[in-house]
Amino acid sequence: MRKILRIYKPFTHAGFLLAAQYRVNFIFFIFGDILRCFINYFLWHAVFTSGGAKTFMGFSEHDMVVYIFISFLTGIVSYSDGAFAVGEEIRDGSIAMRMIKPIRFEFAFLFQELGERTMTAMIVFVPLMAGVEIYKFAATGVLGFNIWYFLVYLLSLTLSYLINFYFNVCYGYSAFVLKYLWGSNLLKDCIVGFLSGGVVPLAFMPAGLGFVLNLLPFASLTYIPVMIYLGMYDVPTILLSLGLQVFWLAFFIFLQRIIWNACVRHMSVQGG
Amino acid sequence: MKKFFKKTHRMFKLHRIFIKQDLKRLMEYKVDFLTGAVGMLLTQAINLFFLSIIFSQIPDLKGYTFEKIIFIYGFSLLPKAIDHLFFDNLWSIGYFIIRKGDFDKYLTRPVSTLFAVTVEKFQVDAFGELVVGIAFLCVSIPNVNLDVSFLNILLFIVSVFFATFIFTGVKLITSSIAFWTKQSGNITYMFYMVNDFAKYPTTIYNRALSFIITFIIPFAFTAFFPASYFLGNGNALFNIGGTAMMAVILMAVGIFVWNKGVSSYESAGS
Repeated sequence: MRKILRIYKPFTHAGFLLAAQYRVNFIFFIFGDILRCFINYFLWHAVFTSGGAKTFMGFSEHDMVVYIFISFLTGIVSYSDGAFAVGEEIRDGSIAMRMIKPIRFEFAFLFQELGERTMTAMIVFVPLMAGVEIYKFAATGVLGFNIWYFLVYLLSLTLSYLINFYFNVCYGYSAFVLKYLWGSNLLKDCIVGFLSGGVVPLAFMPAGLGFVLNLLPFASLTYIPVMIYLGMYDVPTILLSLGLQVFWLAFFIFLQRIIWNACVRHMSVQGG
Repeated sequence: MKKFFKKTHRMFKLHRIFIKQDLKRLMEYKVDFLTGAVGMLLTQAINLFFLSIIFSQIPDLKGYTFEKIIFIYGFSLLPKAIDHLFFDNLWSIGYFIIRKGDFDKYLTRPVSTLFAVTVEKFQVDAFGELVVGIAFLCVSIPNVNLDVSFLNILLFIVSVFFATFIFTGVKLITSSIAFWTKQSGNITYMFYMVNDFAKYPTTIYNRALSFIITFIIPFAFTAFFPASYFLGNGNALFNIGGTAMMAVILMAVGIFVWNKGVSSYESAGS
């Protein structure tokens, strides 16, 4: 373990510096994306005032607001660029340079991204979290912050990031076949965003569909951490959900090894 | 007058040639293009599903029925798609054309730089949005009690035309910033994202926000205002005249900033 950390620490450092370099760009992007949260906020506000009912399919108005912002935050922090990076290296052939080095191919990406994520988290995590908690306090009048839920949320968020990373690396390998990933990336983001509860809570789906979606790996990306943060799950459900996340993580790590071993033999790099 | 016609004729001819060229480039990546188009369609389908979940629980949203919301939503996609189709290359200006020093090549061409830049890319992905927008309008029009007259059809075309230039104007102003800062794609992104607010009635937002999207970054005129005129609220002068005025102002400012920018452009690198 120590040896692994020693080998890959420079990657993390590089990733951190890279993200720091582009932090102004990143902040503009985040501003653009946060606007969407506010649209949803006003939309749901109008829904609750028009509907007249206190809850919408089991969600109160402030549950919904917290859901919008925390699912956004979860999406940002657990975002992984793995697919694009892997796909791009396969396409331009620079993956060959990685293969001749005595390092694990996916670890190099993972540790570099961890550095980038740290920077991102430093920029968005604290302000958004604080904003949501202040809103909750103002809306309900009670200090709802529960340190245990928060810590479990952090654990679940970490698992969510790792699942997302390995899922994206698996997907990135499709560049071995497709060569260009722009179009299918758009399609993937759209499907994953929906299935992971980024658009509406999975609880709003028709019962049968909702049950299936809860078991799929996508729920592990956004829905499970957010529901834990909201305090909607009781202890057995939390344990079950974390177990599900661990299962999907193991699944994608395993799948990634298999695909890599199968593809690497067929690889041909043009130029160098 | 004759000279003017000759000039526009030449521009259209050039445009056709460039479109043909771009379509050839596209054919190279057929699968990539198709999956991208399916992705765009699916995004809109998911939004529709999202709205239908909301409306399964409430009869109307601040007085707007499901069909009316779909009408406004569909309307918002038309100018967005047309701008996307013809003026997509402005994004590349802000993201990398200036930063890499590639802008030099437009300066050597015997047409205006702005024309040379926009004509270079014909973004066919936009057909996804266009198709969905038209489909939404077709589905909602029979259910929203619309007054279909010759005048209204004319006004519809006029408002879509001008609304398109609100999008283009915002992109033009923000991407011109790159002439001084080398890169401004993220600024464009931030302002452009405001257009999502236009998909819903401005009455659902608070005062400050509806002021901003009406007068400062006037995306409300790209969809909600013109669409609500056709739905029978508001008068033509404000709702459609406003669209035209905002488009003219934004484009005038945009072209001014662009020309200023071109004259202070310094090529990057070797």
